[in-house]
Amino acid sequence: MTPRVGAGPRLDAEAVTSPERTGAVVECAAVSRTFLRGGVAVVAVRAASCTVQPGMRIALTGSSGSGKSTLLHLLAGLETPTAGTVGWPGLGGSPAGRAGTVGVVFQGPSLVPALDVVENIALPLLLAGLGEDEAVERAGAALGRLGIGELGRKLPDEISGGQAQRVAVARVLASRPRLILADEPTGQLDHDTGARVVSVLLDTAQELGAALVVSTHDPQVAQRLPHRWRMDDGRLTTRDTNAAEDRA
Amino acid sequence: MNRIWLRGLVRRRAGRLGAAAAGVSVAVALLACLGAFLAASQASMTARAVRDVSVDWQVQVEPGSDPAAVLDTVRTAPGTVAAVPVGFGQAAGLTATTGATTRTTGAADVLGLPDTYRATFPGELRTLAGAGNGVLLAQQTAANLGVAPGDLVTVHLLGGTATSVRVDGVVDLPAANSLFQTVGAPPGSQPTAPPDNVLLLPAGQWQGLFAPPTSAAGAPTPVHNQIHVARSHDLPPGPAAAYTQEIGAAHNLEAQSAGSAVVGDNLGAALGAARSDAAYAQVLFVFLGLPGAVLAGLLTGAVTAAGATRRRGEQALARTRGVTSAQLVRLAAVETALVGLSGAVVGLGAAMLVGQLAFGSVSFGATTATALAWTAGATLVGLVIAVASVLVPAYRDLRYATVASARRGVGRVDSRGPGPWWARYGCDVVLLVGGGLLVWAASGNGYQLVLAPEGVPMISVSYWAFAGPALLWVGAGLLTWRLADLALGRGRRLVGRALRPAAGGLAQTAAAMMARRRRPLARSIVLLALALAFAASTATFNATYQAQAEADAQLTNGADVTVTESPGVRVGPAAASALAAVPGVREVEPLQHRFAYIGADLQDLYGVRPATITDVTALQDTYFQGGSARTLMAILAAAPDSILVSAETVKDYQLHPGDLVNLRLQDSATTQLTTVPFHYAGIVNEFPTAPKDSFFVADAAYLTARTGSDAVGAFLVDTGGRNVTAVAAQIQDRLGPSATVTDIAHTRSRVGSSLTAVDLAGLTRVELGFALMLAAAAGGLVLALGLTERRRTFAITTALGATHRQLRALVGAETAVLTVGGLVAGAAVGWLLSHVLVAVLTGVFDPPPAALTIPWTYLAGAALITVTGLASAAAAALRQGRRPPISVLREL
Repeated sequence: MTPRVGAGPRLDAEAVTSPERTGAVVECAAVSRTFLRGGVAVVAVRAASCTVQPGMRIALTGSSGSGKSTLLHLLAGLETPTAGTVGWPGLGGSPAGRAGTVGVVFQGPSLVPALDVVENIALPLLLAGLGEDEAVERAGAALGRLGIGELGRKLPDEISGGQAQRVAVARVLASRPRLILADEPTGQLDHDTGARVVSVLLDTAQELGAALVVSTHDPQVAQRLPHRWRMDDGRLTTRDTNAAEDRA
Repeated sequence: MNRIWLRGLVRRRAGRLGAAAAGVSVAVALLACLGAFLAASQASMTARAVRDVSVDWQVQVEPGSDPAAVLDTVRTAPGTVAAVPVGFGQAAGLTATTGATTRTTGAADVLGLPDTYRATFPGELRTLAGAGNGVLLAQQTAANLGVAPGDLVTVHLLGGTATSVRVDGVVDLPAANSLFQTVGAPPGSQPTAPPDNVLLLPAGQWQGLFAPPTSAAGAPTPVHNQIHVARSHDLPPGPAAAYTQEIGAAHNLEAQSAGSAVVGDNLGAALGAARSDAAYAQVLFVFLGLPGAVLAGLLTGAVTAAGATRRRGEQALARTRGVTSAQLVRLAAVETALVGLSGAVVGLGAAMLVGQLAFGSVSFGATTATALAWTAGATLVGLVIAVASVLVPAYRDLRYATVASARRGVGRVDSRGPGPWWARYGCDVVLLVGGGLLVWAASGNGYQLVLAPEGVPMISVSYWAFAGPALLWVGAGLLTWRLADLALGRGRRLVGRALRPAAGGLAQTAAAMMARRRRPLARSIVLLALALAFAASTATFNATYQAQAEADAQLTNGADVTVTESPGVRVGPAAASALAAVPGVREVEPLQHRFAYIGADLQDLYGVRPATITDVTALQDTYFQGGSARTLMAILAAAPDSILVSAETVKDYQLHPGDLVNLRLQDSATTQLTTVPFHYAGIVNEFPTAPKDSFFVADAAYLTARTGSDAVGAFLVDTGGRNVTAVAAQIQDRLGPSATVTDIAHTRSRVGSSLTAVDLAGLTRVELGFALMLAAAAGGLVLALGLTERRRTFAITTALGATHRQLRALVGAETAVLTVGGLVAGAAVGWLLSHVLVAVLTGVFDPPPAALTIPWTYLAGAALITVTGLASAAAAALRQGRRPPISVLREL
């Protein structure tokens, strides 16, 4: 499918959505986001339209500064669009201030320095209203899933960047979101570790039935996701679907 | 590169730089203000000491010397403004007959004064009745003889000759102690009290009696001559320098006179006493000022420490870009200079402003040299603080920091690693115990903080006394740190449970965050506690000092307004009703004043109504020994023949409670002395209107019954502390010249020491202002900076789904812990330091306080300002938390 132009490209993936899944997780309609930097308006995302259905696994590619992170933040409800609309019909409204609906793996360090690994993973669960015991139990289980249970009582400053990224993934896993957004999750990792992190993300999304959007520079990472969207200069330009992979 | 770095700092780190410079400026301003205080106080103490001296020098003409020659020598001495001869003669006694009664006194001093004496030395004589010139009788003598102006008094010379003179006036001799000093005798050999009987004659009349100095029997009559001198008061501003100059001039005169003159240096003695006040001013500077400056330094350190993580990151980044360590040190030095110099300039400007407003002086020293020294000293301290808080940490990081050590900002709760070295060795406890022992030793019996021996230019200050409070201050700060660290670390679960009502399900998370950040949090709690303790102890010391100064004024004046009846005027207690009718008067209490002999000693005796005396005047427990004021007054009421005696009399006469004390008092009917039995019930050290030396206090009704006279010496008038001057004026109008009316407002300004009257109010105003500022800054600023540094944490938490309410719970928990910890520790340390300050500075108080006076309003204000500062900081952080988290993360 070729992206529509005019009001902005619209990418949707209804065609690959399984029949039992109803309602898009997130929908963007002609969304733009402009930042003012030094008095100059910088357009990060230009009139992007897209729909993410439950269970979709999308690689968002593009060069540095093309607007991938901003689009992810818009999809997560962490940014407010300067034009257009973002809706989360499948989540019952904006996820902002509602822990557990959307899980975000940030590009940079995103662990709270004053909390140990278990506490970091439990934090969004506590914010979502879970009891402390249950939150800790789920955090431990998530760590176990990722094979990093031994890191539980370590502080973020005591673990490596790759371990921190896996902990961030564990945090998403523990909160069982319906939409997982990962911003360059392998950017700071070596190839093997990065591959493991992507596998965990894919498995987690699979297990939770969550939609997954991963922004990445790495073609090998992108190849592992059935849907590939590309951004150029803030525009969502192309969509490429590997239906076989998706079905797989 | 320095310029680029500097520009970047000013543009990007203006807030943090400004906060650090503000910390430096507070320290500089505080020190410079104290310099202004010392400058103003020293000059005013000298002026005040000079003003209070009636006769600057009493030059004794030695026997066999020519008085005229000595007078010439004195008049030509540098600095002499006026010099007049005064004759001192001794009479065997005085006799007066009023009506059918003839009274005779013991030995009397008869002085011959030239006509110009009163104009030259106006403070020496105070007319109580009759004329101000001519034949004058001292008030006590007039009372002993029962004479008034116009009556005849016969002077019995030692040889048996008697001459009658007509009394022109009755005078008070306010400076009797110095007037009748034994010139040249050491302090311990001076008379304990001025003579009981004094007659002042015009010089010509005195010459007729005493010159030539022979008695009819040919034996020499005890006569000596003095030259009373008014000196130039162009003296150095500091009491110590003025004292040195003055005693030097006196010694010079003695050297010139070749043994024919000895100088009784009243001016030097007054300046000597002012030296003590000046030394106390310096002591107060150390006790009240230095902690403030140290706190300001600690605050600056805390401000820069709050940005330490960021600084380390920037340093690491710069090093990866090829910047050398030396270059980084230079850049840190540039930042240090910027912080230190800008802080110093602002601080000095603020100090000039405060000095002008509080002390009326923009100078930081009494002389140009001292002003420059204070300016340089305060600036140097500011630079030292800047170096210690900016350059040293940066250098330390460069030299020692590794990736691991850079992560120390977040410590583990269950770390078994060694804590700070001082905690391992228990230095906090050692300091507290050591400080307590030193304070105990320093405030023991016979302790004198300031010693200014008469006649010796040197003054000694017991600097050991500083060690105790200093050790306690440091020890209390360290102990607070230890306890805060312990509570936040090992007591994390308890803290979490305590926070649950406010933080709900996030309570343990908040407690965990604080546990990992317990070091900076503990530092903030210590800083806040010390700032509050500084405010509390300074305010309490000030309030106690003011209360005791007020007590001193009330002791001297007796009550808000006191009506002292003139000698010879007999007024009964019924006259109180007329005084009570004056608008503004609440209560009137008659106070009898007699003279009584115990053995050969004549002492003042006060007859009180024990049940009602406290209605008009405050009796503090410290005025008495052997019981509280209330119990001793109750004893007087229950057993009217009880008597309170001075400690010196108890010692001299070996009295024990219940002992019979026979006093001789004048009987009203016979005017002869009659024996009145009393029983010793307790010791009185101070009493309203009573002199500093020995006196008695007894029941007025018993005195009336045993002497047949209910004559009142003074009426103590209570106005509730309001309109005392106006009420006193109204009473004086009604009574006319028959009585002397004094009010506490005038007495307050007259009796207060230099420290009370001139300076301490200004000093404490400045101190209290700074203390409030430090408390607010220690709480609000440090919390704000800490929260600002944790914007990333809050942004991540928000990105993870935290609502604003949840964010408020996290921020609020930390604010609550800091507030409660700081207030509780501040109150405890403040309580301790207040007691220590008052104990160590006992010498400043007159009379010594029985208990602390707590300035609750100020303390509540300080607590309110602190809480407001903390709440504002938390609110500002929460406002930041409303921004989109990604925007915040992007900026960091």
